[in-house]
Amino acid sequence: MTDPQIALFMLGLFIVFVFLGFPIAFTLMAMGIGFGYYAYFDTRRMWRSYDRLDADTASWWDQTSAWWEGLFNSRIFDLFVNQTYNVMSNEVLTAVPLFLFMGYIVERANIVNRLFDTLNIASRRMPGSMGVAALITCALFATATGIVGAVVTLMGLLALPAMLKARYDPSFASGIICAGGTLGILIPPSIMLIVYAAASNVSIVRLYAGALLPGLTLTGLYLAYVIGRSILQPSVAPRPTKDEVPDVPAAKLLWMVITSFVPLAFLILSVLGSILFGLATPTEAASIGALGGILLAFLYRAMTWQRMRESVYLTLRTTAMVCWLFVGSYTFSSVFSYLGGEHVISEFVQSLNLTPLMFLILAQVIIFLLGWPLEWSEIIIIFVPIFLPLLVIFEIDPLFFGVLVALNLQTSFLTPPMAMSAYYLKGIAPPEVKLTQIFAGCLPFLGCVFIAMILMYVFPQIVFYLPSQFYGN
Amino acid sequence: QAPKVLKMQSAWPSSNVWQEMAQDYVTRVEAMSGGRLKIDLLPAGAVVGAFQVLDAVNDGLLDIGHDVPVYWYGKHKAASLFGTGPVFGGSATTMMNWFYEGGGKALYDELTQDIMGLDIDGYMAFPMPAQPFGWFKNPVSSVAELQGFKYRTVGLAADLMAKLGMSVAQLPGGEIVPAMERGVIDAFEFNNPSSDRDFGAQDVAKNYLLASYHQASESFEFLFNGLLMEDLEPDLKAILIHGVEAVSTANVAKAARRYSADLKWLEEEAGVNIVRTSDEILAAQIAAWDELIPELEADPYMKKCLDSQRAWVKDVVFYELMNAPDYGLAYNHYFPDRLKL
Amino acid sequence: MYSYIRFADAVSAWFGKTFAWLIVLMSFGTGYEVFVRYVLNSPTAWALDMSFIMYGTLFMMGGAYTLSRRGHVRGDFLYRLWSTRWQARVDLVLYILFFFPGVLALIFAGWKYAARSWQYGEVSVSSPAGIPIYQFKTVIVVAGVLLFIQGIAEVFRCIHCIRTGEWLEADEDVFETEDLLMQQASKAEKDAHS
Ligand code: NA
Ligand code: NA
Repeated sequence: MTDPQIALFMLGLFIVFVFLGFPIAFTLMAMGIGFGYYAYFDTRRMWRSYDRLDADTASWWDQTSAWWEGLFNSRIFDLFVNQTYNVMSNEVLTAVPLFLFMGYIVERANIVNRLFDTLNIASRRMPGSMGVAALITCALFATATGIVGAVVTLMGLLALPAMLKARYDPSFASGIICAGGTLGILIPPSIMLIVYAAASNVSIVRLYAGALLPGLTLTGLYLAYVIGRSILQPSVAPRPTKDEVPDVPAAKLLWMVITSFVPLAFLILSVLGSILFGLATPTEAASIGALGGILLAFLYRAMTWQRMRESVYLTLRTTAMVCWLFVGSYTFSSVFSYLGGEHVISEFVQSLNLTPLMFLILAQVIIFLLGWPLEWSEIIIIFVPIFLPLLVIFEIDPLFFGVLVALNLQTSFLTPPMAMSAYYLKGIAPPEVKLTQIFAGCLPFLGCVFIAMILMYVFPQIVFYLPSQFYGN
Repeated sequence: QAPKVLKMQSAWPSSNVWQEMAQDYVTRVEAMSGGRLKIDLLPAGAVVGAFQVLDAVNDGLLDIGHDVPVYWYGKHKAASLFGTGPVFGGSATTMMNWFYEGGGKALYDELTQDIMGLDIDGYMAFPMPAQPFGWFKNPVSSVAELQGFKYRTVGLAADLMAKLGMSVAQLPGGEIVPAMERGVIDAFEFNNPSSDRDFGAQDVAKNYLLASYHQASESFEFLFNGLLMEDLEPDLKAILIHGVEAVSTANVAKAARRYSADLKWLEEEAGVNIVRTSDEILAAQIAAWDELIPELEADPYMKKCLDSQRAWVKDVVFYELMNAPDYGLAYNHYFPDRLKL
Repeated sequence: MYSYIRFADAVSAWFGKTFAWLIVLMSFGTGYEVFVRYVLNSPTAWALDMSFIMYGTLFMMGGAYTLSRRGHVRGDFLYRLWSTRWQARVDLVLYILFFFPGVLALIFAGWKYAARSWQYGEVSVSSPAGIPIYQFKTVIVVAGVLLFIQGIAEVFRCIHCIRTGEWLEADEDVFETEDLLMQQASKAEKDAHS
C-alpha cells in the first residue's frame, strides 16, 4: 500500500472504531499515534544510539536497553505532545469554558418559568399562542445558555404539560420544544461556532456576524410554521381558556416583561453586541456574560452554593469533553495529512468533475447523514476538517460553508438513531407521549431547516451582509 | 534513484508573499541538486504552529524550518538579538553581514547548540527593509496618544513598545487581522506592505506609519535538523546551506518589486493614509532602547552578543555612511514632490 | 480492586473539582481586564497569557475526572444496544489497545517536552510580561498521570462488569439538568406503578 492509501485506510478504520463506542477522543489519539508510528518510522533515526554502541565492548544490558529505547524513540510522540500543547494554548478556545459557565449559571437562574409565563400571556391572542410562546422562550433561553439538553428538559417539564392541558396535539407540541431548544447552538454566541472557528481558522467574530441572520431566519421559519399550522389546522393548537392563560392588566404584564424577558435579552445583546462591534474579544465578552449570569441568578434569588458548585464542575466536564476531542483530532489529522490523505481526497474529488453546487450538496448530505448517528462536536471537530481543504478548489467561502454546516447540524439533534433532543424530551414527558410522536413532530422543523439552507444558497447575502457591514470584505 | 524528500514548514500562511519567498528557496535547491532533493513546503499550522517551528525542527518532525528567530524568544531572550535587537545604526544588511563575517554565526551556534542544547543548524537570509511602525485606526503622532493601546509586535520590540506605554500582545502573522477583528489588539505591525496587504491589514485599519527603530534589522532564519545534516551527502548539504545565500539575493530583489508596488496599491487603491512616524515617537524609541539595553546586558551571553554587534556596527557603518553619497538628494532631483517626509 | 476504583475516582474528582474553580478565577480575571482596558484605558500585559493558561490547565486537569464520570463523548448508538457484559469486554480490549499507549506517551514525551521548557526557563511569547509557561507544560505530564490512574480503575470496572453484568458507577454529586430531570421523571413513573 502507498502512504495515501494507508491514510484512507486509517480514516476508514477510524469510522469503524467509532461505532465500537469507546470514548472518541482516545480512539482518535490511538489511531493518530499508531499510524503516526508507521508514518514517522525511521530506523536510522530511532536506533541511532543503539547503532553507535560498539557490538564487541558494550554489555548485553546496554545493548538491550539501547534497542528498547530505540523502539520508543519515535517522533510521533513529540508530535502528539506538541499538538496537545497547541490545543492548550489555543486562544479562540479560551472562550469555550467561559460561555459554558455562563450557560450553566443562567440555566440554574430560575428564569425559564418566568419567561414562559410572561410570553404566554403576552401572545395569548395569537393563533397557536402557547406554541409561539414556547418557541420564543426556547430560542431565547437556548441562546443564553447554549446547552440543548437543559433547555429541552426544562421546557419539556414546563411548557409541554401546559400545552397538553390546553389540548395541543402532543406531536406538534413536542416538535416545537425539540426544535426550539436546539436553536441555541446556531444563534450566536454559540459554542458550536467557536469550535468551528477553531477547527477551520475562520474568524470567530465574522462567523458570529454571519450566523446571526440565518439563525433569525430559521427562528422566523419555525414561527411561521407554528402560526401557519395553527391557522390552517386549529385543532392542533386550540386557543387557551381564561383558566389556562389568565388575562392580566397591561401594567402587570409590562412588569413581568421587565423582570423576565428584558434582563435575559439584555445579557445576550450586551455579550453579542460587544463582540460584533469589536468592543471586546469573545473571551472577554464571555467572562462578562458569566459574571452577568451570576448577578442575574442573585437577583432572582436562585444562586445557591450547591448551584454554583454544579455549574463549576459541569463547566469543567464539558470543556474537557470538547477539548480532549481536539487533542485527539489534531494528532489524528496531522498524521492523516502527513501520509498524504488530504491530498488524495482532494484529487479524488477533483476527478469527479463536480460543479461547486454539486459539491456543496454532496458535502451537506454527508454531514446530514453523519448527524444521524453522531453529535455535532464529533462532526465539527473530526469530519468537517476533511471538507475544508476542498473548499478552495470549489471557491466556496469557509464562512458560508460553516453557517450551512451549523444550520445542517440542527437536524442532528432531531434525527434518529441519536436524536438527543427527542430523547431528552421523551425522558421527562408524560408516558402517553410516544417517541414516534415526537419524531413526527420534529419532521416539519427539519423541513424548515432545509428551506433555510436553500434560502442561504439563493440569497447568500443573508450570511454575508452583517460580516461585510462590520468588518469589510 | 528516488529523490530524498524533505519536509519544510514556514511560520507563514500559504497566501503570504513570504511563503512565495520560501518557495524560491525550494525551487533553487531542487534545481541545484539535479532532482536528488525534493522539498515538501508547508505553511504555518500544517505540522505545527508558527511559534513551534524551532521545537519541531529540533525533534525532527520537520527537516527544515523557515521563520524568524524572534518567534522563539520565549525560550531565550537572546534570540531576539538575531534580527530584532537594538538599532545601533546598522541596517538589516549590516546585521546579516555581522552574522556571516562578524562572528554572528558562532554566537548563534553557541546560543542554540551550547546554551539551549538544540540539535539544529541555522542560517540567515534576506536582510529585510526596516519595518514600519504599523497600522492604527486613527492617526497618531505623539507618544501620549499611544498610551493604553493593545499593540501587536514580537520579541524585544515588545519590550520596547511596553516602555512607550503600550500593552503588547505577540501573535503569529496569520492571527493578527482576526485578532484585530476580535478586538484582542487595537494596533499592530507585522513587517512590510506586501505581507500586511496579504493579511488584509487595510480592511481593519487605515493609517500606516512608516519608519521605526523597533525592528530595523531582521532577516529570515533557515533551521536544519542536526541529524539530517549529519546524514546528508556533503554536496547535498552544501546545496542546502549555500541555497540560503542564493535565495537571499532572490528575496531582496522580489521584495524591492513587490513591497513598493503594494505600498503604492495601499495608498492609491485601498485609500490607506501613509505617513512617516513622527520624530517624537522615533526619538522616544531610541530613548526606550537606551533604557532596555542595560537590562539586557545583565545576562552575560547577551552582553557578549551586544558587544560584538556594537563593535561591528561602529566600524562598518562608519565606512558605509562616510562613503555613501546622499541618495535622497539625487532622488529628489529626478522625482521632485514624490517624497513626503 | 474496589478500594482502588474508589481511590482513583476520589483522586480524579479531587483534582478535577479543585481545578474546575479556575473558571471562576478566569471569569473575574478576564472581567478585571475588561474593566482596566476599556474603562481605565490601561490594559494588563498578562491577560492573554492568563486566559489560555487557565483554560488549558482546566481542561487538561479535568480529563481524568470526566473519564471517571463517563463524560467523554462516545459514538454509542450501537454500544448502548449491547449487553453490559459485551460493552465491558469491548471497553476492556480498547482500554488496553487505545487508551494506555496515548496516555503513556503523554507522560513520557510530555516529560521530555516539559523538562526542556524548565531547562530554558521558558516564558510565554504572547506578551512581554515574561509569564513562565514551563509549569503549564508540566500540566501535560500531570494530566497523563491522572488519566493513567483513572484508566486502571476503568479496566477494573470492565472486569467487574464482565463478572457481574453490572457497571459500577462512580459516586456522583452533580448532574446535567437534563439527566437530573430525566432521573426524577423515571423515578416518579416507577413509584406510580409500584
Ligand atoms: Na441524530
Ligand atoms: Na515586525
